Amino acid sequence: MATDQTPLVSIDKLRVEFRGEDGPIVGVEDVSFTIAPGETVCVVGESGSGKSVTSLSLMRLVEFGGGKITGGRLSFSLNGKQIDLAQTGSETMQAIRGDEIGMIFQEPMTSLNPVFTVERQMTDGLRVHRGMSRSQARERALELLRQVRIPEPERRLGQYPHELSGGMRQRVMIAMAMACEPRLLIADEPTTALDVTIQAEILALIDRLKRDTGMAVLFITHDMAVVAQMADRVVVMYRGRLVEEGPVERIFAAPQEAYTRKLLAAVPRLGEMRGKPAPEPMRLVGEEPARAAPPPADAVPDPLLQVSNLTTRYPVKGGLFRRTVANVHAVEDVSFEIGRGQTLALVGESGCGKSSCGRSILRLSEPTSGEILLDRTDIRALSARDLRRRAWRDMQMVFQDPFASLNPYMRLRDQVAEPIRNYRIETGGGVEDRVADLFDRVELPRAFMSRFPHELSGGQRQRVAIARALAVNPKLIIADEAVSALDVSVQAQVLNLMMELQAELGVSYLFISHDMAVVERVAHRVGVMYLGRLVEIGTRQQVFENPQHSYTKSLLSAVPVADPTQRTIREDLKFRPIPSPVFPLDHTPAPSVYDAIAPGHRVLRGDAGLGAD
Amino acid sequence: MSYLLNRLFSMVLTLFLISAITFAVTNILPGDVAMMIMGTQSNPEALAGLRESLGLNDPLLVQYGRWIGGMLTGDWGTSLVFKEPIAPLLLQKMTASGLLVLFSMTIALTCAIPLGVWAAVHANRWQDTAASSTAMLGVSLPDFFWGIMLILLFARGLGWLPSSGFVDPADDFGGAVRHALLPSLALGLGLMAHLTRMTRATMTGILNQEFIRVARAKGLNESTVVWRYGLANAVGPVMTVAGLQIGYLFGSIIVIESLFNYTGMGWLTYQALLNRDIPLIQASVFVIAAVVMLSNLIVDLLYAVVDPRIRLS
Amino acid sequence: MKVPAAFRSAKGIVGALVVLTVLAVAILAPLLIPADWATRMDMRARLAPPSWAHPLGTDQLGRDLLFRVLLGAQTSIFIAVAAVMMSIVIGLPLGLISGYVGRTTDNVLMRLVDTLLSFPALLLALTISAVLGPNLQNTIIAIGIAFTPFLARIIRGEALRVAQMPYVEAARTAGNSDWRLITLHVLPNIMPAVIVQATISLAFAILAEAGLSFLGLGTQPPDASWGLMIQASRDYLDRAPWTALVPGAAVAMTVLGLNMFGDALRDALDPRARGEA
Repeated sequence: MATDQTPLVSIDKLRVEFRGEDGPIVGVEDVSFTIAPGETVCVVGESGSGKSVTSLSLMRLVEFGGGKITGGRLSFSLNGKQIDLAQTGSETMQAIRGDEIGMIFQEPMTSLNPVFTVERQMTDGLRVHRGMSRSQARERALELLRQVRIPEPERRLGQYPHELSGGMRQRVMIAMAMACEPRLLIADEPTTALDVTIQAEILALIDRLKRDTGMAVLFITHDMAVVAQMADRVVVMYRGRLVEEGPVERIFAAPQEAYTRKLLAAVPRLGEMRGKPAPEPMRLVGEEPARAAPPPADAVPDPLLQVSNLTTRYPVKGGLFRRTVANVHAVEDVSFEIGRGQTLALVGESGCGKSSCGRSILRLSEPTSGEILLDRTDIRALSARDLRRRAWRDMQMVFQDPFASLNPYMRLRDQVAEPIRNYRIETGGGVEDRVADLFDRVELPRAFMSRFPHELSGGQRQRVAIARALAVNPKLIIADEAVSALDVSVQAQVLNLMMELQAELGVSYLFISHDMAVVERVAHRVGVMYLGRLVEIGTRQQVFENPQHSYTKSLLSAVPVADPTQRTIREDLKFRPIPSPVFPLDHTPAPSVYDAIAPGHRVLRGDAGLGAD
Repeated sequence: MSYLLNRLFSMVLTLFLISAITFAVTNILPGDVAMMIMGTQSNPEALAGLRESLGLNDPLLVQYGRWIGGMLTGDWGTSLVFKEPIAPLLLQKMTASGLLVLFSMTIALTCAIPLGVWAAVHANRWQDTAASSTAMLGVSLPDFFWGIMLILLFARGLGWLPSSGFVDPADDFGGAVRHALLPSLALGLGLMAHLTRMTRATMTGILNQEFIRVARAKGLNESTVVWRYGLANAVGPVMTVAGLQIGYLFGSIIVIESLFNYTGMGWLTYQALLNRDIPLIQASVFVIAAVVMLSNLIVDLLYAVVDPRIRLS
Repeated sequence: MKVPAAFRSAKGIVGALVVLTVLAVAILAPLLIPADWATRMDMRARLAPPSWAHPLGTDQLGRDLLFRVLLGAQTSIFIAVAAVMMSIVIGLPLGLISGYVGRTTDNVLMRLVDTLLSFPALLLALTISAVLGPNLQNTIIAIGIAFTPFLARIIRGEALRVAQMPYVEAARTAGNSDWRLITLHVLPNIMPAVIVQATISLAFAILAEAGLSFLGLGTQPPDASWGLMIQASRDYLDRAPWTALVPGAAVAMTVLGLNMFGDALRDALDPRARGEA
């Protein structure tokens, strides 16, 4: 990049404090870096690193969140002069916001005003900064919508945010931020809330706009893979301080600081498992390697779980008397099996039915039809009483949100002891010993047994949830996005724990996840779901190295790789929006028909009306 | 359209339930209409005759059927105390009370919304503390206490306004307003305090939303951000709360109208309750519940007007 | 365990102090003050303004307002507490069942509750009291019934929310029966909301008792309640405004204390309601 230019922004020893109950809390301290014109700087860090605070300080929006810039300079080059944004008055700041600096945020669902039309929200900035008339502003808004490739821009202007999909809203947000051709675009986790295919489109769009307009981009993210795809330079932050800064290739190839090395090590890279037969633990710098890894998958002569033609539909109620007016086809004619001591991963984007599938197997959601055999026990034939007594004795679940999956008013000891007592695994003093054993197993100190959930971190809670699931010695654990809410280093630790437990106890996992790179490391077999159907299933190597279904291919092509030398995010990526799974009552979907590609590798024939081509 | 039909059907069902509850509650009364008409000292034979002719010996379900039939056909019976047909009486009193509800709601909303927004903008600073504390005090005082204070100050002390009575707006509009002002204020002050608290809470929530940050990031000035972007989102929730308060108002109105001798619906209901005028109790309790339910329905429909998320779904 | 947070704000401390003071008065006054001090008539000092002999003045019968208001606390507080307890005893199981069981049970129960909510609470209480005949016990029943639908609605909403939490589902797969699920996992998690609502309902119940008694359809003499004292003062407002102001201030102070404490409690128990980023 052009380093001889004067920087557009230079942040010097920034310090931000927040009002706390016991005096000020430091949000960011001693942070200095620069952004050159036309350059993309990625600020990366885990939660609590102060990365968002830094970007909000630049906009001076941090003050609206109770923060205060208490030190340092924020030099910004305006009309050839350097001004210090930290000292600028509110009127000048208003003139700069939206004009010189544009900003997009994380949540496309909440970042547009729900009661105003798209037109009104897109034009008010133009009218303030450019003094445009209503019709001029409308023309410009149309031009912007075309620039961000939104179909039917005229119609969009009259629509309200809730009428647009998440990806579409984020495009509108970007168009809004681009309205006055800012010289700096701040993107604060702009793709975190989006599905991977939409993320790929949005990343490609930001990259193209940057090249077309020559603006600089300050990109805030927690995702190293996104950094590798987007950044020219990288700033790594940890607990409010800058850890390391440098060109993206250097940071990934030769990280200087221990924290950066640890962060990078914990990130799985799609494709790095090529040619390996068995799952492998995650790398963790500075910690002992995992005790054991799961064995390779053998053929499945005597599967633990057999799911055949599973279908789950949820009624949509409406009209008079709250009758059922339509059905959500959450899971549609899905069949697979899981071998003993093995992991089957179900992957797909939000709404594809992977979670419903897991819940249906446990009958937390009641399936509409199909067969579920666990160790030859017909789960669907069980009465509610036997379901509790027998099925859940063998199958347990670990939920996504570590903050919601433990009862906040019950001691951890009692929560883990509940299944032991209820299923009479142990009685009397044996219960306490078993709980202590389980805490050892999930590598939590026994002192935590008498604590309440709020005294633990997210990763620790997820360990407790795993201990509770293990309490009954289950044959199968259904892990529904069990590590998705965790920071990357914690995620790696929990994944390694799960793999160790599998190697030692021979437990099987149904691992439900949207993260292809994580799945590649942990799964023996992989099933890809789309719109309630299983479109492809096979061993990990079959699905990742020889994908057959068009949807599997496009999904894999959309995953950002955590390697700056492999930039796969391209402008020509174009994905179909996922259609609605709501069908009228009389709709009879065609059965799923599969072609066998190789032993164990099945692909849904045609697209079964899925439209993923 | 199906939304509207749905709501209308639900409304009819609720009205039916309201009538059933009203009838059930009033029939627990010891003594009956015949006793009320003839007095306790009356001749038992005559009493039995009257009972028979009024149909009081029929099963309760039949009596209920007859009553609801009358309500539907406009024959609401005759008040035992006022010796008048009930329907026109209620209509007239409802108009008087409608004036109070209208006045107090207007007073409350015009003050509460700016005050609540102002408090939310200055959340957790002295402006907020001042506004919130005042509002807290406001919701803690009984309505009739407000009424007594107002009478002491404006009627007895300053002598600006009458402390008692009702004037029909059709006869003397100025007089009607002067007589309605103090009771409206007494109703409106507590309501205002409540709505201020609600507006503040709603606006505080809205001002912490992402789209407000986005509006600021666009370079809009703070007053546009708060009063256009913010308030536009608060209108629906505040309106809903205000609508729910109509029910509360119709409770308070009983106390306030008695205090001010303002002969509206509340006063009438109170007279009916004191004198155990069963047909009048039944009719007025039913009418008040129906009016409350209808006003909530109207607020729900208005919500759909201000919020495109409901309008377009 | 989070409850002490309610005492961290000035609002919570002041509110708690006021509530405790009023409770202490309600409990101790009848033990320390002979009952006849409140009924002893001083015919030479009728409607007397506050003085050394009568610090808060006297009423139309020359009775000392200080003693009357102190002894009246017992009746007002007792009615409010009993009425709110009654509405919890009825509303809690109703709301829990409706929210936890769902389906038709929920539809039917909530249709009924919504209909009851169309009746203004005070009107409902007045009607019930008039029907049953006004006295202390029936005042409690009237207010208790009138408040039940509110409580049932709120508890139902909470139960619905909690029943869908992953920890309840996890507890279900941990082999717990419905009874254990409700009592060990759902109930403890809706209690904060119930406590907050109970505190605020207490405030409303005191206002309702005052309103009922003011209209003569609540507490009846010789029981002395604050509402009754205000009612008695109506005819003497011109000559002796303190006869209304003294009990009015007692009501206002108690309700204010309860509201402040309830607010602080809600802020502490529900971070969503907090006005902070």
